[in-house]
Amino acid sequence: MRKPRKDKAGIMLAAPMGLWVTLFFAVPLLIIVTYSFLKKGLYGGVEWEPSFDAYRQVLDPDFIAVTLRTLWTSILATLTCLALALPTAYAIARSRHQTLFLFLTIIPFWTSSLIRIYAWINLLSTEGLVNNILLALGIIKEPLHLIYNLFAVILVLVYMYLPFAILPLFTAFDRFDFTLVDAARDLGSSKLGALVRIMLPSVRSGITTALVFTAIPVFGAYTVPLLVGGMGSTMVGNIIVDQVQKTRNWPLASAFSVILTLVSLIGVLTVLRGGRKDKKSKEVRT
Amino acid sequence: MRKVHAPRFSQLCLFFVMLFLFMPLIVVAAYSFNSGHGMTWQGFSLQWYEELFTSSHDLWRAFWNSIIIALTSSLTATVIGSAAAIGLKWWSFKLSGYIKVATYLPMILPDVIIGISMLIFFSSINLPLGMFTIYAAHTTFNLPFTYLLVDSRLDEFDFSTIEAARDLGEDRKGAMLRVVVPSIMPGVLSGFLMAITMSIEDFVITFFVSGPGSATLPLYVYSSIRYGVSPVINALSLILILASMALAFIFRRFLKSFAASA
Amino acid sequence: MQGKGSAISIQHITKSFGSFKALDDVSLDIAPGEFFSLLGPSGCGKTTLLRIIAGFEEPDQGEVLFDGTSVLRLPPEKRPCNMVFQNFALFPHLSVRGNIAFPLKRKGLGKEEREERVDELIRFVELTGHDNKKPGQLSGGQKQRVAIARALACEPDVLLLDEPLSALDAKLRQSLLVELDEIHDKVGITFIYVTHDQGEALSVSDHMAIFNEGRLLQAGTPYEIYESPSTLFTASFIGEGNIFPCTALSSRWDEEDDEWIITVDVPALGRTLEVTDWGPVEDGRRLYFSIRPEKVRIVAGDVDLGPGCFHGIVDEPVYAGYQSKFYVKTDEGATIRVLKSHTTYLEEGPGIEWKDRVSVIWRPADGYLVKEEWHEET
Repeated sequence: MRKPRKDKAGIMLAAPMGLWVTLFFAVPLLIIVTYSFLKKGLYGGVEWEPSFDAYRQVLDPDFIAVTLRTLWTSILATLTCLALALPTAYAIARSRHQTLFLFLTIIPFWTSSLIRIYAWINLLSTEGLVNNILLALGIIKEPLHLIYNLFAVILVLVYMYLPFAILPLFTAFDRFDFTLVDAARDLGSSKLGALVRIMLPSVRSGITTALVFTAIPVFGAYTVPLLVGGMGSTMVGNIIVDQVQKTRNWPLASAFSVILTLVSLIGVLTVLRGGRKDKKSKEVRT
Repeated sequence: MRKVHAPRFSQLCLFFVMLFLFMPLIVVAAYSFNSGHGMTWQGFSLQWYEELFTSSHDLWRAFWNSIIIALTSSLTATVIGSAAAIGLKWWSFKLSGYIKVATYLPMILPDVIIGISMLIFFSSINLPLGMFTIYAAHTTFNLPFTYLLVDSRLDEFDFSTIEAARDLGEDRKGAMLRVVVPSIMPGVLSGFLMAITMSIEDFVITFFVSGPGSATLPLYVYSSIRYGVSPVINALSLILILASMALAFIFRRFLKSFAASA
Repeated sequence: MQGKGSAISIQHITKSFGSFKALDDVSLDIAPGEFFSLLGPSGCGKTTLLRIIAGFEEPDQGEVLFDGTSVLRLPPEKRPCNMVFQNFALFPHLSVRGNIAFPLKRKGLGKEEREERVDELIRFVELTGHDNKKPGQLSGGQKQRVAIARALACEPDVLLLDEPLSALDAKLRQSLLVELDEIHDKVGITFIYVTHDQGEALSVSDHMAIFNEGRLLQAGTPYEIYESPSTLFTASFIGEGNIFPCTALSSRWDEEDDEWIITVDVPALGRTLEVTDWGPVEDGRRLYFSIRPEKVRIVAGDVDLGPGCFHGIVDEPVYAGYQSKFYVKTDEGATIRVLKSHTTYLEEGPGIEWKDRVSVIWRPADGYLVKEEWHEET
């Protein structure tokens, strides 16, 4: 590998992107962090007076309830995603039709998120297809309340983010050398034992990646609870938006955003650490 | 490599997951041909397609807004992202770590945060919301994709081809133009296509930074879901699903690397 | 495709990377049109020297002259030499034609002339029919030929080859080496060939230079290098040898054979031996005695083969089809490696096996002295 060069050309090439992300990402993020430590303005905006009001408000019981609900909704949705994605990704990786199944996984992933939510509204609503069918079959007399509740939120979240879990897991399984399982069985492991003791540790970083990249967007979800959730299923994302658009409490919205950012960053750092370990072991191999 | 039949259980899961992923899409697609309004089948009809193509003025305006934003923001992101990928890969300088992190993060953080922080930023500097703010936001969230795809392409780049070009009569600039640029072109192009996809389907961030008259297609879909659905949306859905199928088909050779980078 | 190569003169080249001294005062002269190999283990500086000649590295000190003119000021693209890279460095986005046409375009050749030249080169390296393939669709050997054709396209005075065969498998290496030699004969320009494979260097070079740790140890014809290595490193790096420290006792001139006969004491063998050399050796000088395994004669049983004969048992026989290698433990306690070619199997009588007693001997003229001083082990 070549040593990196040291003249000015590199920084000239990187400068436009550097300036762009500074102006449109780093500065806005810094503004949010700053605002979260300021006082709310009378008619929206902020007053330039340091204060921990926003963070104190975060601890308001109502908000705590929403945060906790967001937390456990996310955990439930993420774990469901993982439970479905693990066998699916394994089956895709070992299938002779890998490309076809990847293709099928990626299509919903690339289809507009609103269209996908809209599709579920069609299925779940009171006059939706599921109720229509159940009524027509005489299984139920009254339409079921399948939508605008926590159940719908979790179901649609799982639907939306399942590909996020399948894709990294697929990559991990695909890179796994399955002859190792044969080797373990040759050396006396049972089939399940070989899968658990040999395969799982090898794909662990894939599992972490899948977990984090599902959990982060789920935790910050906004559209799904807005469109298929009800009063009892709002999430942190919705609070942030409400605080900006309705109550115009920028410091509070900022404080929630800072917390969300920190949680996401911790998740990403976990993945990166695992990834670095992986890379090291890979370098040793080659 | 030897391919073994996957065990029954995981195959079964695969089947149901695929069903789960596609059932809603198939239902929407099917009902786009329903002559009635609701989810009760009232016969085959193409009326919603007719309406979509003849009398959906607002929808088409939103569509063209989306296209304009997608093209301009993807182009910007592709140009500055590719240049930066080269600069960051082959040179070392002080700020390179910062630039990489600040580029990656928008891909990782929840959309709500990106949207809100930009909204507050634009309001703070009194920049009116509209096409430009959407363009700026989209370029920002497109950059990690264009940057990363070129960056991983550069990993495969054989540095000695630059020396070969010099050896065969190119000066520094010539080698860059006639060897480096063509070799990373697949990465540049897939970055560009990826950016177009991301831009066209983004709702959350656009929702915050758009102003009057600058609604994009997802915003239009959103308002029709919220304030009175017309089955025209079903028709539009099928077209969008077909579009992402076409895109996935074009990308079929890169699906694996896409899965690895997702 | 007859051209005339350049004479290259390397003068006192020194190059460091940080604290690592890649080349240390290397001087070398390469005659026009010859096939010259730079041989040494990895990290010995041979590739750095090639890259300095090509213009990819600048020496800290020294000169590189092409036909008496310095080229150090010239960037790589202006030097009258072209390079075949270790991993071929083909442009992945261009077809075979595109790769070969690349330097011709830079040179500003008209389209017709260019196409003609490309056709000629494709025929020359026998790639007809593969014109429009991309490098990714070619085998290693084909890539190699494209790389050579591309480097020859502009008729350089010198062709630099950086371990061009190392990425190929053993069989292919052999046949491509022969092709390379033929190409050299046809184009007649100077070839500078970097390799770590002594077999390659010995078989194709007109002259070769041995490098180790940034220093040029010895330059000469393959024959000179193999038959009279001047350093212990060369002696052990090239071919296989039985090398023992020894002390010169006396030198005398043998009129009949027109050579000097040196008597040396070899403690490891427990004897004094006679060995021939070009000149006298100072009495009492510490140096090394070496005899190549293939020059040792081996006979089954305790037979007196004349003065200088050793007896011992076979410690380990290694059968390799066309030849066998024996590790013979002499009664004096030394191990001597012996190679025996199986040329006429039936006449050789019973084979020599493990634990057999054998007798070995060599002619004094077949041994040689390596004039590097040894030190007592501390």
